[in-house]
Amino acid sequence: MTDSLGARIYNRLASIPMWALWGLVVLWTLPSLSLFVNSFRTKSDQLTSGFWTVPRDFSALTRENYDAVLAGGGANDLSQSLISSFAIAIPATIIPIAFAAFAAYGFAWIDFKGREWLFIVTISLLAIPLQVALIPLLSTYVGGAHFTFPFSEKTISIIPDLDLNTRGGIAVWLTHTGFAMPFSIFLLHNYISELPKEVFESARIDGASHFTIFWRLVLPLSVPALAAFAIFQFLWTWNDFLIAVTMLSGGNPVDLPTTVLIANLAGDFGRNEHLLPAGAFVQAFFPLVVFFSLQRFFVRGLLAGSVKG
Amino acid sequence: MRSKWMRLFAALFAVALVAAACGSDTATDASDTNTDANAEALADAQAEAEAARADAEAAQAEAEAARADAEAAEAAAAEGADAAEAREFEGQVVRVTGPERSAEEWEAIEAAMVPFEERTGAQVIYTGSADWEAEINVQLAAGNPPDISIFPQPGKLADFAREGFVLPLPDDVLGVATENWAQAQIDFGLVDGSNYGMPVKNDLKSIVWHKPAVFEAGGYDIPQTWDELKELTNTMIADGITPWCVGIESGQATGWVFTDWTEDLMLRYHGGDAYDQWVSNDLKFASDEVTTVMQEILDLWNTEGAVFGGVESIASTHFASKPAEDLAADNCAMVRQASFFANFLPEGTSDQMDVFYFPSLSADDRPVMGGGNLTGAFNDNAATWAVMSYMGSAEYANTRQAAQKAAKGGDGNLSGFNTANLNADKSLWEPLGQGFVSIMQEAAVFRFDGSDLMPADVGAGEFWTQATAMVNGEIDVAGGAAKIDAAWPSE
Repeated sequence: MTDSLGARIYNRLASIPMWALWGLVVLWTLPSLSLFVNSFRTKSDQLTSGFWTVPRDFSALTRENYDAVLAGGGANDLSQSLISSFAIAIPATIIPIAFAAFAAYGFAWIDFKGREWLFIVTISLLAIPLQVALIPLLSTYVGGAHFTFPFSEKTISIIPDLDLNTRGGIAVWLTHTGFAMPFSIFLLHNYISELPKEVFESARIDGASHFTIFWRLVLPLSVPALAAFAIFQFLWTWNDFLIAVTMLSGGNPVDLPTTVLIANLAGDFGRNEHLLPAGAFVQAFFPLVVFFSLQRFFVRGLLAGSVKG
Repeated sequence: MRSKWMRLFAALFAVALVAAACGSDTATDASDTNTDANAEALADAQAEAEAARADAEAAQAEAEAARADAEAAEAAAAEGADAAEAREFEGQVVRVTGPERSAEEWEAIEAAMVPFEERTGAQVIYTGSADWEAEINVQLAAGNPPDISIFPQPGKLADFAREGFVLPLPDDVLGVATENWAQAQIDFGLVDGSNYGMPVKNDLKSIVWHKPAVFEAGGYDIPQTWDELKELTNTMIADGITPWCVGIESGQATGWVFTDWTEDLMLRYHGGDAYDQWVSNDLKFASDEVTTVMQEILDLWNTEGAVFGGVESIASTHFASKPAEDLAADNCAMVRQASFFANFLPEGTSDQMDVFYFPSLSADDRPVMGGGNLTGAFNDNAATWAVMSYMGSAEYANTRQAAQKAAKGGDGNLSGFNTANLNADKSLWEPLGQGFVSIMQEAAVFRFDGSDLMPADVGAGEFWTQATAMVNGEIDVAGGAAKIDAAWPSE
C-alpha cells in the first residue's frame, strides 16, 4: 500500500515537467493559432472580436482573405510573387551548396599550404553583418569594378556593370551565395572532416582521384549535412526581405518576392490589415512543406560533427 | 603525390591569372560581337519601325477621319495631335517609385498611365513601397535611382534637390505645371529659386466631419467662424450632446493630431506669412502668436463635456479608427480630421457623413492646410520629362480618379484620391470628394502641413512629445513651447 502510494506520488511528480512542457507548447502556439484562425475571418470580425469567439459560430469563417491574396489579381495578389520567391530561393540554395561542398572537402581532405589560415579567415567572415555590406555591394553591382592601368588607355573590368533593373535576380543570387558561404563551409567541413579516414585511404589505393572521391564517396555520405543546410538556406532566402527589397525594387514589380509584397499588403493607412494573416500563411506554407519533407535529415544534420564516432 | 597536386594548383592559378589579365581583351571581343549583333538588331528594328510607321500613318489617317467625325472637345483634339507625332518614345521604359502601395491606388496609377503609354509608346512602370523612404536613400547611395519618384513631403525633395540628385523642371514642364496648378502648389517644389517638383495629388486637412442629420435634428447651423464653432460647442454641451471626438494616439507618432490643429489655427489667427516664419523657426514656439493658439486648442479640449471620453482619454485614443466608430455611433457630433478619414468610416456610414470647412476667424478668410505629393525627376531625358508633364496634367488626375473610384466599388464610394489640379473634372468625384477638390482649388492660401516641413527633430519629434504632454496636463503651454524651441537643431 505504502509502496504503491509512493509510486503514485513519484509518478505524479515525474509527470510535472511534461505538463509544464505542454503548457509552454500551448503558450507558444497561441499567437500562430490566433493568426491562423483570423486568416479565415472577415475584416469586420477581425476588428471587432477575438479569435476565441469562433466556436460560437463556425459559419462565420470564410475563404475570402485567401481568395484576395491568391486570386484577387492586382497588387494584393501574391500568386505571381510566389514564383518569384521560388526563382530566388531555389538557385540561392543550390549555388552555395555546390560551392561550399567543394570548399569543405578541400579544407578537410586536401593538404595545402596555409589551409588553416584560409579556413580561419573564411569562418571569421561569419562575423560580418549583411546590413553593413549592403550599400557597398549594391554600388558594386551597379557600377561594377574597373581598373585602368596607369599611363595607358587600357581598362579591365574586374566586375562588369550589372543592370539591376533587368537583371536584379543575379544580384540577389550572388548576395545570398556570398553571405551563405562562411556558414555553409563551416557546417559541411565539420561533417566531412569527421568521415572515417579509412574510406579515403582505401579509395586512394584503388586509384581514385580527388574528384572521384568527392563525387562517389563524400557527396553520398554527406547527404544529411547537405539537406540540413539546404533547409536552413531555403528558409533564409525564402523569408529574406532586405536583400530582395534592396536589389529588386528598381525592377519590375512582378519580379518582387512574396515577402516584399506582404510588407505592402496592409496598404496606405493600414486599410488592408485584415489580409495580413492570410498572406502570412501563404508565405509560411512552402517552408513548412520543405521542412517536413526534409525533417528526418534535419536533426542528423544539426548534430553534424558534434560527436566523434 | 602531394607535389603533383601542388603543381596542378600552381598551373591552375597561373591559368586563372592569365585569364584575368586577358579579361579586357575578351571583354572588347565580346563587345565587338555585341556591336555586330546590335547592328543587325538595329537593321531589323529599322525595318520593323518602317513597317510600324506605315501602320501608324494608316492609323493616323483613320484617327483624322475619326476626329473629323467626332468633333470632340479640345482636349481630345490635343490628344489626337500628340498621337500624330507617331509614338515618340516607342519602347522606352520610365520607372516611377513612390510610397502609395495599396492595391487600389497602385492599380489606379497604372491605369492612369495607359493613355500616355498608348499615345507615346513608352512603358511606365510604377513600384509602390511601404519603405519608399528608406529605399530611395539606398538606391541613390548605390547610384541606381528610378527615373521619377513621388515625394510625400517637400522637405525630402528639397534635400535631394540641394544634393543635386533631383533635377530642376525644364521650362516646358514648368509650363504644364502653371497651366494646371495654383502657384501655391507649385511652390512646394521651389528650392533656392528653382522648381524641382510637379504636384500630382493632394490631401485636405482643414475639414470637420459631421452627420448632417444630427445637425438638422439639433437645429445647428454650420459654423462660419472660429467663434461660432466655439459657441456651437457650448450649445451642444448644454443640449447634452458631446460635440467632439478627438484622438491623438498614433504609436510612435502620437501627438501629430495636435500639431495639425495648431497649424490650422496658426494659419487662421496669424496668416500665411507668420505661418512660414514659424515653420522656418523665425517665429519661435514660445512667441505669443504660437502659445495663444496652442492654449486656444487646449481650452477647447479641456472644456467640461466637450470631448467624448474626456480630455484624459485623448492621448490614448487612436487618431482615426476610434473617432470614426464614435462618430458613426453618434457618441459625438464632430471630428476634425483630414480627407483620408473617409477610409476609416465603418462600412455603409460614409453616405451619412459630410464635411464642413474648419472655420477661420472671419467667414471670408479661407486658408487651407493640406498635404500633397510632388514628383521629382532623377533623370534628364525626354521620356522622363514627358511622364512628369503627364502626371501633372488634368488627364492624369481624371483617369486616375475614375480608375480608383472603380477599384473602391464605383459610384457612391470615395476614391481616396484628391487633387487641387485646377482643370480636373469635378463631376468624376462623389459629392463629398467634389467638396474636397473645390476647397483645394479655390484656396487662396494653401499651406503644407507645417510639422512635415520642420526638421525631423522638431516636426516629427519634440513637437509631438510636448503636444502629448500638454494635452495630458503634464506641462503648461509655456513650458512645452520652450522645450520644443530647445529641440530645434542649431545650424
